[in-house]
Amino acid sequence: MQLEASRKPLTLQLKVGLAIVGAIVLLGLLAPWVAPHPWDTISMRTRFLAPNATYWFGTDEYGRDVLSRLLMGTRLSLAMGVGATAISLAIGVPIGLASGYFRGWVDEALMRSADVLMAVPPIMLGLLFLAVTPPALWKTALAVGLVYIPQIARLTRSVTLSLAGEDFIQAAKARAETATYILFREILPNAWPPLIVEASLRVSYAILLGSALSFLGLGAQPPSSDWGLMIAEARSFLDRAPWIALAPGAAMCLLVIGINLLGDGARERLDPRLKSRVAT
Amino acid sequence: MAAYVVRRVILIALVLVAVSILVFAITTLLPANVAYLILGPFAQPEQVHALEHKLGLNDPVWLQYLRWAGAFLKGDLGESTLMNRPVAPLVFEALGHSLLLAGVSFVLVAVIGIGLGVVAALRHGRALDHTVSIATYLGIAVPEFFWAIIIIVVFAAWLGWLPASGYEPLSAGFSAWAKPLIAPVMTLVFGHLAHVSRLTRSSMIEVMQSPYVMAARAKGLPERVVVLHHALRNALLPAITVLALDFGRLMGGIVVVETIFAYPGLGRLVVFSIQNRDLPTLQAAILVVAAIYALANLVADLLYAFLNPKIRFGDAA
Amino acid sequence: MLTIDDLTVRYRTLGGEVEALTSVSLFARKGATLALVGESGSGKSTIALAAMGLLPSEAQVTSGRGLIGDDDILAMTQAERRRLRGTRVSLVFQDPFAVLNPSLRIGEQVGETLVHHRGFSKEKAHARAVALLDEVGIVDPAVVAHLYPHELSGGMRQRALIAGALAAEPEVLILDEPTTALDVTIEAQILDLLETLRAKRGLTMLFITHNLGVVKRIADEIAVLYAGQVVERGAKDDVLRAPMHPYTKGLLAAVPRLGGKKKQLAAIPGQLPDLRVPPSGCRFQPRCPFATPDSASPQVLIELGDRQVRCSSATQLRDTAWPEAEEVAPAAASRPPDSRTIVDVRDLTKSFGRGGGLLRRMARASQPPETKAVDHVSLSIAAGEVLGLVGESGSGKTTLGRTILRLIEPTSGTIAVAGETVTNKPQRALEPMRRAAQIVFQNPDSSLNPRKTVRELLGRPIVRFGLAALADIPARVDALLDLVRLPRHYADRYPHQMSGGEKQRVGIARALATQPRFIVCDEPVSALDVSVQAAIVNLLADLRDRLAVAYLFISHDISVVAHLADRVAVMHRGAIVEIGATDAVMERPQHPYTRRLLAAVPRLDSP
Repeated sequence: MQLEASRKPLTLQLKVGLAIVGAIVLLGLLAPWVAPHPWDTISMRTRFLAPNATYWFGTDEYGRDVLSRLLMGTRLSLAMGVGATAISLAIGVPIGLASGYFRGWVDEALMRSADVLMAVPPIMLGLLFLAVTPPALWKTALAVGLVYIPQIARLTRSVTLSLAGEDFIQAAKARAETATYILFREILPNAWPPLIVEASLRVSYAILLGSALSFLGLGAQPPSSDWGLMIAEARSFLDRAPWIALAPGAAMCLLVIGINLLGDGARERLDPRLKSRVAT
Repeated sequence: MAAYVVRRVILIALVLVAVSILVFAITTLLPANVAYLILGPFAQPEQVHALEHKLGLNDPVWLQYLRWAGAFLKGDLGESTLMNRPVAPLVFEALGHSLLLAGVSFVLVAVIGIGLGVVAALRHGRALDHTVSIATYLGIAVPEFFWAIIIIVVFAAWLGWLPASGYEPLSAGFSAWAKPLIAPVMTLVFGHLAHVSRLTRSSMIEVMQSPYVMAARAKGLPERVVVLHHALRNALLPAITVLALDFGRLMGGIVVVETIFAYPGLGRLVVFSIQNRDLPTLQAAILVVAAIYALANLVADLLYAFLNPKIRFGDAA
Repeated sequence: MLTIDDLTVRYRTLGGEVEALTSVSLFARKGATLALVGESGSGKSTIALAAMGLLPSEAQVTSGRGLIGDDDILAMTQAERRRLRGTRVSLVFQDPFAVLNPSLRIGEQVGETLVHHRGFSKEKAHARAVALLDEVGIVDPAVVAHLYPHELSGGMRQRALIAGALAAEPEVLILDEPTTALDVTIEAQILDLLETLRAKRGLTMLFITHNLGVVKRIADEIAVLYAGQVVERGAKDDVLRAPMHPYTKGLLAAVPRLGGKKKQLAAIPGQLPDLRVPPSGCRFQPRCPFATPDSASPQVLIELGDRQVRCSSATQLRDTAWPEAEEVAPAAASRPPDSRTIVDVRDLTKSFGRGGGLLRRMARASQPPETKAVDHVSLSIAAGEVLGLVGESGSGKTTLGRTILRLIEPTSGTIAVAGETVTNKPQRALEPMRRAAQIVFQNPDSSLNPRKTVRELLGRPIVRFGLAALADIPARVDALLDLVRLPRHYADRYPHQMSGGEKQRVGIARALATQPRFIVCDEPVSALDVSVQAAIVNLLADLRDRLAVAYLFISHDISVVAHLADRVAVMHRGAIVEIGATDAVMERPQHPYTRRLLAAVPRLDSP
């Protein structure tokens, strides 16, 4: 696995991805100051207003400004994505490393356990975890993180497996290096590029799954302006006020597209196999 | 090949057992007190004791599990605490509806997705390929429930062509039966098309650049033969694996889709049982879903093994 | 016949436009074999693709023609080209496995061209395919025709490919390194087969290779390709006996000869020029020991008798040989010659049972036959001695090397290194052995951690064994770089910034960092070009003389082994079939397998 010095110019893909994600993150962080209206003030006079000059994305069933709620919800979605992925990585990467390096019964045990977790579709697994406790957004993030551990573990394992077959690992063994040294100083520094790329894509999956769970009522609770919850609440009004649902949905798509662009762009930079082949 | 099949079946069985333990553990062990969970925090102590006794919650854990698992295997899936009816017929009727939805969607996703992927790969670098690529890229970013919203807004609210929810049995007539199905099927298909088509496309592109395709061209074979006879069968192998995984994701997708469209399937049953703390129904529903998912994976593995000469005629690596 | 006329091909790459071929002209006479010799980067595969009209879309033919008989394939439409491919000209590729469709049976792939070009029915094509498989020497052709590629051995696959290429009876056969991926004994058989087929069918062959020994066996005429230009052309015997272009002279001098004197191999210093900006003058000039001011002007092919050379000094240099490497007097060893045994292996065996997961083991009905990769091997190596280990793929030589170092755990037997038995100790207690015994790997791309600088790579063994204070490490690293003749500023480089030969030197330096007494050299030059090989072999010989370190030198290339080793062991199917002093084994082989091996090696110095 050869890694070229990344002195190539940033592709358009990467730039657009960075721009989108950067803008959304910034807006999310600055939301309390940037939002034009308070996000939680109920005002029955301004209900169901179509998008206009004052309320750029209209108002919802309680008269609240959709845009402001959207901005505040950005933080929740980002927190969900990053938090859940952090959990998946923290647990999944060591599991994958151990599995791929030590092989044998350790590998079998861990991978069979991963199989069990993957035997149930992710959303159902998330529902299962959340079924038995009163809902709260942090629990949802935890559940989503747990649900994606097997995927991260598997990816780490396969990266570790391919690295472990390289001769420089044999060279390390020929120096009587300890397993800890080999895992953290020889394997991990070479493993993290594909892991980072996968992690970034996981963030987008986590955001989607988290909002699906909120949509089903098992995540954020009213009056929170989590995007999934906003869409759920807007379901009853799709005929007369579709913007209440369309705005958060579009925002979510935009964020996910941005993250995917970023992730794919990073992968192309780091993956040497994508260079064109020249016959000599 | 036979050894391979046996191995896979045993593995699946073991996994399902493990899943059942997981489901059981989460639903009966995690909650501090199951009875309170079902009856609510204001229940009277006598009610709680009665329920605990009825559900056998005072016995040792492993005994509870064995009792539960044993009954399950005999076909007794317990009784719904909400509706006080046996769970089995409830679950299996819902399963039938879900399979219909998932099945139709799956066929459409497979045909359209693979078709698009292959065509895009063959026109690699040209207008059609770029269009497909961009469309799939956007498609992957749209969550299922948002597709549903868009479809409802466009086709139900705006155009008024389709109903926004409901289900009619076949006995009510084909058109009455089919119409409410269209929107949920569309949602599922749109949601998964992008994924399948993307993977087929990249698999096909990789195969088209492989040495044996170059060798086939070096023999002067007509391009049609090179693509259909040489390339496609190798490109489809990974596509089959993806499709199988996708069937599982479809099963996951129906949770949201059935909820939105009020379609009486397994997904809606799961959500329903969670909202109403109906544990037996929840346990049964999830296990049935896991079993279906596992079965789909098994079928895919077997199909792959059958089509891949290395496994069919050699030692499975 | 095949004619390449003044062909220039440019490629669009990420780094810019590369001129892969510049005004290349070749002529393969009808019924004869033209060998095209070149190393990696010379452009030889591009010629093969061009002659088939198969250049990728990034390639642009800016001038020239490719004639099959009298028809220019480069001027034809795609449809017309397709008609020629398989029927008038066929291509046999290098890697017999990747080139066969894994999902189709052999018989079908062999008979394809008949179905599509000659209108045969499937059954008729199949029958013909079986006959062809028989003609190329495959045993049980009817059975083999029903098999899938993964069920065949490398040699059989290549034969099947040749059968498929010849099915529609083309006049011209192009072969791009067809035997490079094969074992020597198989290679010999394939070369024999090709000779027979050529004579029988009157084929015109263009045989592309970098192996001069193979050229000697099979060619009638030779063309030498360097950096996209033909630099020499002539009849085989003339060119091999009396090369005229400096590059050809250098290539021939770099090849180790069996039975030759053990002097230093001549290496060709430097690297290929950057073809994004092709030099206007002689492209070989930076590496040429005979360069003159004239070399800066454009070089054209000069006719000298019935030979052609692209060198303005060709006539003057006619009888000049490539300069011999300086005879470096073996430095006085720091220790008096040691007759102690440094490695002692007794009855070593390594079996591989078929592993697999729990379920697979449970599902196996009977005890599986285990493969013995190393079968009761005994050998010993004296301090400062080089024991060569020769064998073909699957012989177990790499397994043996790694088992001796306990990188692979032996199944039974004893190993002693530097007097200490190491087989009865747990891995933790092996530290002293690891200091004394090291390993150099084959693949320079895989043996160095891509994320470490040379300084870190070389410094780590020193740090690990506590051999020097932290402050002294840079000095020690510098000393190691000097030892392997790399410039000191390389210490800050990363592996991807170095060439294959340079990376291999770093690998050797790393092995030397702990001042070992014994090094396992596992095919250290097999992945390198011939010109670079020579330099590394010289380096290893020099280090052996200076540091009195013993080697187990593993290779499939007998010539290289014979050049360096004091004693040679021949390995076949896990067992050592013959072992003895190099000269004795090479000149008077006892075991039938050794004889077969030696007979099969394509040699430059055979009559």
